[in-house]
Amino acid sequence: MNTSYQKAVKAERLKLRRSPVWLAFFALPIISAFFGTVNYKINISILKSEWYSLWSQHTLFLCYFFMPALIGTYCSYLWRLEHTHHNWNSFLTAPVPIVSLYLGKLTQAIFMAVLGNAWIFLLFYVCGKFAGIKSSFPPEALEWFLCGLLGTVVICCVQLLLSLIIRSFAIPIGIALLGGVLGLMMTNRDHGLDYPYSIYCMGMRANNPSMEVNIPTLVINSLGYIIIFATLAVLYLRKREIAAN
Amino acid sequence: MITLKTEFQKIKRRKIGLTMSVLISVQFAWFLWATKNPDEKELAQGWMNLLYTLPLLNVIMMPTFMSVLASRLSDLEHKGNTYKQLKTLRRPGILFDAKAICGLLFVAAISIGQMLFLLILGYCHHYTGNPDMHYYALSLILNFACCLALYLLQLDLSLLFFNQMIPLVIGLCGSLLGLILMYIKMYSFLPWGGFLSCTLVGMDWNIETRVVTLFYREHSIIEYCAMGMVFIWIIVFYTTGRIAFTRKEV
Repeated sequence: MNTSYQKAVKAERLKLRRSPVWLAFFALPIISAFFGTVNYKINISILKSEWYSLWSQHTLFLCYFFMPALIGTYCSYLWRLEHTHHNWNSFLTAPVPIVSLYLGKLTQAIFMAVLGNAWIFLLFYVCGKFAGIKSSFPPEALEWFLCGLLGTVVICCVQLLLSLIIRSFAIPIGIALLGGVLGLMMTNRDHGLDYPYSIYCMGMRANNPSMEVNIPTLVINSLGYIIIFATLAVLYLRKREIAAN
Repeated sequence: MITLKTEFQKIKRRKIGLTMSVLISVQFAWFLWATKNPDEKELAQGWMNLLYTLPLLNVIMMPTFMSVLASRLSDLEHKGNTYKQLKTLRRPGILFDAKAICGLLFVAAISIGQMLFLLILGYCHHYTGNPDMHYYALSLILNFACCLALYLLQLDLSLLFFNQMIPLVIGLCGSLLGLILMYIKMYSFLPWGGFLSCTLVGMDWNIETRVVTLFYREHSIIEYCAMGMVFIWIIVFYTTGRIAFTRKEV
């Protein structure tokens, strides 16, 4: 199992080699960080919580609307490689268990999402220093990062399932954006932790950095969603005649 | 005309209309959620509030929706590798026109649908007075123009790139840029900032009293220029897209 998983991950890496898909995860946080910092500097008389104010400026829109759509784009790209030409035949006849094939794609998606999140935090630190914030870097940032990471994995699982079922490249991305918009509505109704797309924003404290989040609920709900969506994807791969469709 | 008809035949059973309806219905759900249980002040400002909220939602959603639409219309050619065959049957410029008109009809349907929904919503909530039809009609035209500019941009990108990730990511980046610009100034010359420049209603938020007052914007000359830029973008994206598609090596 371990070897087949490693083979699957290696194969996915090979498929993505020289592909500039990582550029998206690089560009989008830069736009958000740059304009977020500019807005912070313009409104510094109102935004008095220093690092916390800057954090909400950096992440509010990015986490609610654009990171889910960006992860959706990446997941769509991962399955697009199989949806085009006759690649399903070679994918499904590979001498590797289907679970490993799926985990290979999931690992790749999570890897890119982790890098994207790390980049957001790095930009936050650099922009904070650049904006002249004197106080020390908030120690809670590690917790935001880890909770956000769990939320990211949930979105990866949902989007991988959607992109697996829907052969169109663009539709799952539209769904991801809508998921983010609905996530804002769910968060406002205090159901943020119950909805897969808003767990990420809640974990990252995008709306309110000083917000108390029920960590056990966040972890349990995230793991629940991860198991459900990953199982559905594997079952779909096993049961449906995808290659013949 | 034949090429346009063929275009509609190609997208038969691809459920593009249904996809766009579902995407837009979430926007409607947002409106229903955001305007429920209005108080006296909200009833008085209701008609203006709808015109204020629409561009805000459009700036978030429309770049992505337009990229989805353009990608759906172009992707079938990429996947089927049909360019070589199509270009031998029809002039490539006409093929591009057909795709542009096909999308334009979808964009028009979306814009009219949005405006009709706002009017029905306003009447259902019994907002004070009647809607300013002049502003609503103007908003419809400007909204349509902004969506069309974005659609043409995305169509150009979707036709030029086989990898549909590139146009989709550009759409997302533009959407984020447009949204963030909204909090810095009230106009933008960028294609994604068109919704911002074409907003007919402004908002005044009093920090001390926390009272929101909506008003019809008095556009300055530079803001009119930014508004006009939307129409220039339409011409630019149509012309450059047509030329690039015609010259594209298949």
